[in-house]
Amino acid sequence: MTDTTAQTVPGKRSLLTLDDRTRRRNAAEARFRAYGLAAVTVALIALTLLLVSIFANGVSVFRQTTIAIPVTLDAKKLDKSGKLDPAVMAKVTTVGYAPLLTKGLQAAMEENGISDQGLKAKAIGALISQDAPAQLRDMVLADPTLVGQTISFEALASGRIDGYFKGRVTMDSAALDSNISPEQLALADALKDAGILHSRFNMGFITAPDASEQRPEAAGLGVAILGSLYMMIVVLVLSLPIGVAASIYLEEFAPKNRFTDLIEVNISNLAAVPSIVYGILGLAIFINFAGLPQSAPIVGGLVLTLMTLPRIIIPARAALKAVPPSIRDAALGVGASKMQSVFHHVLPLAAPGILTGMIIGLAQALGETAPLLLIGMVAFVREYPGAPPEGFFDPASALPVQVYNWTQRADPAFVERAGGAIIVLLIFLVTMNAAAILLRRRFERRW
Amino acid sequence: MNDMTRREAEITATAIKISARNAQVYYGDNHAIKDVDVDIHDRMVTAFIGPSGCGKSTFLRCLNRMNDTIPSCRVEGRITLDGEDIYDKRVDPVQLRAKVGMVFQKPNPFPKSIFDNVAYGPRIHGLTRSKAELDEVVETSLRRAALWKEVKDRLHQPGTGLSGGQQQRLCIARAIATSPEVLLMDEPCSALDPIATAQVEELIDELRAQFSVVIVTHSMQQAARVSQRTAFFHLGNLVEFGETTQIFTKPRDPRTESYITGRIG
Repeated sequence: MTDTTAQTVPGKRSLLTLDDRTRRRNAAEARFRAYGLAAVTVALIALTLLLVSIFANGVSVFRQTTIAIPVTLDAKKLDKSGKLDPAVMAKVTTVGYAPLLTKGLQAAMEENGISDQGLKAKAIGALISQDAPAQLRDMVLADPTLVGQTISFEALASGRIDGYFKGRVTMDSAALDSNISPEQLALADALKDAGILHSRFNMGFITAPDASEQRPEAAGLGVAILGSLYMMIVVLVLSLPIGVAASIYLEEFAPKNRFTDLIEVNISNLAAVPSIVYGILGLAIFINFAGLPQSAPIVGGLVLTLMTLPRIIIPARAALKAVPPSIRDAALGVGASKMQSVFHHVLPLAAPGILTGMIIGLAQALGETAPLLLIGMVAFVREYPGAPPEGFFDPASALPVQVYNWTQRADPAFVERAGGAIIVLLIFLVTMNAAAILLRRRFERRW
Repeated sequence: MNDMTRREAEITATAIKISARNAQVYYGDNHAIKDVDVDIHDRMVTAFIGPSGCGKSTFLRCLNRMNDTIPSCRVEGRITLDGEDIYDKRVDPVQLRAKVGMVFQKPNPFPKSIFDNVAYGPRIHGLTRSKAELDEVVETSLRRAALWKEVKDRLHQPGTGLSGGQQQRLCIARAIATSPEVLLMDEPCSALDPIATAQVEELIDELRAQFSVVIVTHSMQQAARVSQRTAFFHLGNLVEFGETTQIFTKPRDPRTESYITGRIG
């Protein structure tokens, strides 16, 4: 039927058949869609792989193996004066506490009828983290009345034992490992069956400071989180007013001439400068010239502020530019001054955009590592920085730097820690970006 | 003819509010307004007509120095308000704009409540001393803009939620809330439907009792309906300026005649 109609009117194409040109156009469109879909798929696969590998490596860090040990705090050993004098008690080092833990563990084994697998006391003591005596000592010094009592102490298990229950260490690998033997692992199994050894939520990972090579089980993010928080406070306090004021001036008040053109070009250039360059700048100016302390959050915050400013000014200017000129005309038309028109009308309308840019700038600063390496924040810091404002000048670490640090260490237990730190960092970043989206939704107004 | 002279005498009797002498406007190198001499009378509607791009809006924006916001724009000549040169160095454009209000082509209410839109001008100029006084100013302004009945129950809803015609009347209410002496209107009805246009035109006629109104319009019918005096602009020149009835019935210049009969434009 269609053929006959097409034939009856020569030179006229039927709508029911596709001509060559349309067919080619449709094919091009289909190809383009396929490319787009492929690109998105590849990106999604890459993201999934990244997240899976981070979580597979890192999520186990949030559980930690501990051993419940009844410790008899022997007064004769811990308090030689007998008067609970803190100065005298402080003379007993962690070496004095370690045997108490081992003895307590042996007593618990005896009570539960667990065979010692032919291990000597020293090998049994090696199940306990080297950090446990230090924690016990801190506990006793904080509360001297504990001396003479028998307390139940949750001691961290050593990194190898923890690794055994997380699948990182096996009987086969232990046979080749000078730090752990299959017998010790068998003892750990027996302790677990008796309920002495168990796995708990690892609060220490969030609150504890970093720990040395030998005790990965005690390493935590406390100092790094505080350091990052302090730096973000510095960045926020400095870059929000400076960035917003600069963008308002450049966008609304500055005359258009060569000088402001030059400033504009340079702001765009600065946004593209590699972050490590800001680190060198910070080292030269803030530490060498101004004499600020190394590893301090104030210096980190200043460097990150320099780095963040152009990245805040550019979106803030775009947000101001997006406010329709009719609003400015309306305000000027009723006799508002330039400044009133900006602060009463333009700025509130641009606020969601400015805030979004601000939060994304902060999130970038939070994840920045390179400039911090140069100003000494890569140092091993076990002391928490003090309360602000003095705390801004105390040495601290930062989250991304802590990740970098841990990936450098030999013990595979630190790989798990690094993965966990990345998860914590990602949680902060996702929270900040979600806040940016929420703020934009909340304050977005139509005109 | 006798009738004509009587009316002309009446017009000259009313005070001249704004007077422009030899006004020139440049956008960079572009000479947009050439040698314009215009007298705007008090309590009278003056219409500026002319084809697109003829400079009528540009000239209107000179009267309250809105052109100051355009960096490349330069104004020469003498424009006076009540005999004072508005381009004098000592004149603050902010003070001038409080006296010379403006309504724009596109309704542009602030994205705030209806109340805040109208109250903004009185607030920034400190015209009211109490909340009650402010409420009164808002109410009278909305009443005079013929909007009160429609919005009195939703004063605290956003002004952007109104219809186009209502928004334009809200903008007029906002402009008259500061009690200006002159009201400039830049094609106030071009975005409105015929009903809203009729309402705004009626409003302009009422406003004439208190203000001097200058309206730029593309519609010659509108100019004929609302204005007492009309200025015809063409290519940056003021071609003819006179009584509206005279311009539309007996234009002196052939270009005016061509425009109003639809041959150029």
